Amino acid sequence: MAGRAANLVAALLDGIAGRAGRGGASAPSLRSLLVAIVVAGALYGAAMGAWRLEGERWKLVVFVAIKSPLLIMATTAVVLPAFFVLNTVAGLRDDFGAALRAIFVGQAGLTLALASLAPITQLVYLSGVGHRAAIMTNAAMFTVAAVVAQVVMVRHYRGLIACNRKHLLMLVAWLVLYAFVGTQMGWMLRPFIGHPQIEPAFFREGAFTNAYVEVVRIVMGR
Amino acid sequence: MRGMFAAVDGLLRGKRTDDAALRDNAQALPARLFVPAAVVLGAIYGFFMAWYAIANREMDAAAQQALASMVKLPMLFLLTLAVTFPSLYVFNALVGCRLGLKPTLRLLVSAIVVNLAVSASMGPISGFFALSTKSYPFMVVLNVALLAVGGAIGLGFLFRTLRRLATRAANEEYDELANTPEAPPMQSQASPFAAPAELNAGQSAQSVRTAPVPSWRPLTAREVFVNGRVGSATLIFWVWVILYGAVGAQMGWLLRPFIGHPSMPFTWFRPRMDNFFIGVGQNLLELLGGGR
Repeated sequence: MAGRAANLVAALLDGIAGRAGRGGASAPSLRSLLVAIVVAGALYGAAMGAWRLEGERWKLVVFVAIKSPLLIMATTAVVLPAFFVLNTVAGLRDDFGAALRAIFVGQAGLTLALASLAPITQLVYLSGVGHRAAIMTNAAMFTVAAVVAQVVMVRHYRGLIACNRKHLLMLVAWLVLYAFVGTQMGWMLRPFIGHPQIEPAFFREGAFTNAYVEVVRIVMGR
Repeated sequence: MRGMFAAVDGLLRGKRTDDAALRDNAQALPARLFVPAAVVLGAIYGFFMAWYAIANREMDAAAQQALASMVKLPMLFLLTLAVTFPSLYVFNALVGCRLGLKPTLRLLVSAIVVNLAVSASMGPISGFFALSTKSYPFMVVLNVALLAVGGAIGLGFLFRTLRRLATRAANEEYDELANTPEAPPMQSQASPFAAPAELNAGQSAQSVRTAPVPSWRPLTAREVFVNGRVGSATLIFWVWVILYGAVGAQMGWLLRPFIGHPSMPFTWFRPRMDNFFIGVGQNLLELLGGGR
């Protein structure tokens, strides 16, 4: 059972790494990429929510396991129509399938890298770190996973860019839009770690406010 | 026991990580020999670490500290391996060489053996200072420095091996692409990153290494491909090294004391507070400020 699971993961990693169809591994289907994003995202989410497990805080493990893949998928759903139209306007409609696959591969790479970093997050939590350090730890893990995901995504996008330089512009557009929407989505779906003095909840009070306005308020000291 | 040390000796001499040996990682890097070797070598360094306690404590407490250090030092490395192994495997599978789960694990255990062999060889230095100084901060900083030297050499071994494996994997990938009758459309363009089906005309299929190429010769398509692959693998490896170092340091902090403060009673573990960097920084400041 464990061996079969390990083989499945190895085949998926090979496919995501862009070796599919060359060494006998089959190219991962969109469905298997989506499953990887949900499962690996939930795994890291559970690890992220497991800071200071006392009292009712166990609920955060479940909440964040649901919210992590939700953050990725919901952000994708919001940005995808604009990305589709931009590609069409740029005359890249025929390559959209390949571009979409490259993006899902990048996201699967991100969540798998995050899941592999979960033991490190747990070790840091085990060291008895405070709320701020827990946030910083997760920020660091996301940064590392994002570097890995970028390398994987760019590797898949390279062929498209070689065909048409406009794909590079589309990739940059995707990243900018995704970061812009993802920041707000993350703000709405918080807490992911949970302040120790606030009751654990799926959504925090004031979830549907604007992250950017809040940041400006904080910066301006209002 | 003799077989174990012969295997470690072969590893240190580089006989077990040459190209021929790496083709059969299970034979060249046998975990059944290297895991016990890591435990023994770690226990040796742990024993020398405990000399400070032997020189400065009652016999009972010193014996307990020696036992604790001999058990905890190998634990420090094996637990760090357990925490960081998933990330190295996934990162390597995504960006680096085509190493499977077990071969990656065997390679990491081998890197730990190199690390601990170097550390154990410096154990007498730690023991010598333990007997000749009363300064606890000095002993903390010295042991961190000695373990850091062992760690740097162990990671250097891992880096060189992974780089060689990544180069080989990139060459194999290039050959596979060249032999694909119908390369995917997105990869069949005339670009340095394209499938080599069209690019390698007239090129020999021999592998390239990532050694510097004289500036007067333009890079071949194969070299561009391999250098690109190995470059991204190297970047990801260094990211992982930072994680490994931070995890190892924090694991050491969690498992402390290894030396045993002379004015504190013996304990297997200390309460969880602060972190490694704050702790060592405080000892360093105390040492520089004239602390004894």
